Amino acid sequence: MKTKKLLIRIAAILVLIAIGAVMMVIGRGHTLYFDNTTAEYNGISYEAPYKIEVNVKGEQVAKLYERERGSSTWIGQNFNMELLVTPEKGGTESAYKVSLSLPYGVDGIIVNLPAVLNGLPQDAWFEEFIPAPVEEEDVEEVNTDEFTTDDFGGMEDPEAAIE
Amino acid sequence: MSEKKDMGKKALNLLRNNSVPLMFILICAVCIPLSGFSISYLFNEIVTRMGRNIFLILSLLIPIMAGMGLNFGMTLGAMAGEIAIILVADWQIWGIPGVVLAMILSIPVSVLLGLMCGKLMNMTRGREMITGYILNFFVGGGLYQLVVLYLMGTIIPIIHSSIRLPRGYGIRNTVGLANMRQCLDNQFSFTLFGAKIPLLTFIIIAAMCLFIIWFRKTKLGQDMRAVGQDMDVARDAGIKVERTRIISIILSTVFAGFGMIIYLQNIGNLPTYTAHSQIGMFCIAALLVGGASVERASIGNVFLGVVLFHLMFIVAPKAGAAITGDSMIGEYFRVFVSYAVITVALVMYETKKRRARGRAGELLARAQKEGGGNA
Repeated sequence: MKTKKLLIRIAAILVLIAIGAVMMVIGRGHTLYFDNTTAEYNGISYEAPYKIEVNVKGEQVAKLYERERGSSTWIGQNFNMELLVTPEKGGTESAYKVSLSLPYGVDGIIVNLPAVLNGLPQDAWFEEFIPAPVEEEDVEEVNTDEFTTDDFGGMEDPEAAIE
Repeated sequence: MSEKKDMGKKALNLLRNNSVPLMFILICAVCIPLSGFSISYLFNEIVTRMGRNIFLILSLLIPIMAGMGLNFGMTLGAMAGEIAIILVADWQIWGIPGVVLAMILSIPVSVLLGLMCGKLMNMTRGREMITGYILNFFVGGGLYQLVVLYLMGTIIPIIHSSIRLPRGYGIRNTVGLANMRQCLDNQFSFTLFGAKIPLLTFIIIAAMCLFIIWFRKTKLGQDMRAVGQDMDVARDAGIKVERTRIISIILSTVFAGFGMIIYLQNIGNLPTYTAHSQIGMFCIAALLVGGASVERASIGNVFLGVVLFHLMFIVAPKAGAAITGDSMIGEYFRVFVSYAVITVALVMYETKKRRARGRAGELLARAQKEGGGNA
């Protein structure tokens, strides 16, 4: 009886760990930056088209002319988007469905769209986005005072400021 | 004649037992027209606040069932939820998976804190509420700050500078949860009478209500009720009283952790050092406003309490401004009422207990007298 109980408990813990692991994979968020700039790969340059519209989950997230950047967010490692490409001004628009495999450990990913459209490998279209370091003059003062000294004895509506 | 007297007694008892909710209904009935808010606005606000708060308040029901009173120690669970959500925010797990992962991560922390709280409450039997309240200061002002302010970034790795303090360790005053904001509330949500109904959140709340109803019927639930009614009788019946009480506190702490995560995903940011500080007070006040007492609380009390308490919170400043020309009066009023309702409930509980004790003593004295007379 005791062994059975122990086994059930271990199984429950394992199930929770498994769910947690799955959540870590399917819930990993990325910020994607789309560049419509000329790509260089193996000495060949791939010209940026006149205009690219980026649709993610049926919603337009960016409309990029040459040398422009747009962004979107995505949860998970398999990124899908639809690109509406206009090669030159007044040209006809063509649609491309693109699936990309995103690296797990990278928060911000720069995607070079002309490289993607030309079917180049990941090292051609991928670059890590590293935010510029922000100069912080003073150390942030941390307020850890539990005994709030406000007029309401700390009982002001905490939800009022949110809405 | 006696029937009329009985009816009067019954009405008086009903009034006495429901004096707090009745008082709040009266306050709301006066304040709503004075505030000038439209019904659809109030409905929207109440629905939002129900989704945000009910799970947290439901976590208070199990310790009441076990006779441990209002679990001020639920704040420990809230802290566990906060620690979990900081980690999840740093690992960049977004949306519903982030919420689920935070809930899973909060469990071991909540269990540990609940175990500590339960053991301490067993040592201070009869003084559980004040123990829980003071424990908040020890854990919230000591352990939690040690973990969040010094261990995170040094021993516990924190990668993102948006979360970490510029000095390299410790967590910032506010952690943004924009990528998690209302992910539960927006799932399957729909609009009714101009208000967004967070269907998934309500489904989770309904599941929790069903769990509580089911739990009451289980062996453990029955044991808790027996312990809540009389510990000595329960012990004589073979129930492990201490263990049952600890389990009730652990369950409450774990659910409080889940509730805090639901609360924070709705708000969309985490005030790292202050989010938990008043959460216990608010939840307990709301439960008492719903007509619960220290020894008796139901799911209905939770729902009624959230509606009445938050309705008062919404309308009081505007009503105060309309009556006195100064909105601060309304602010003071609602704070005063929040504290007052807890005080009134505790005083009523103590009075009832003393009256019952006095009556029992009287009965015993009478029985002894009669016994002596017969001898």
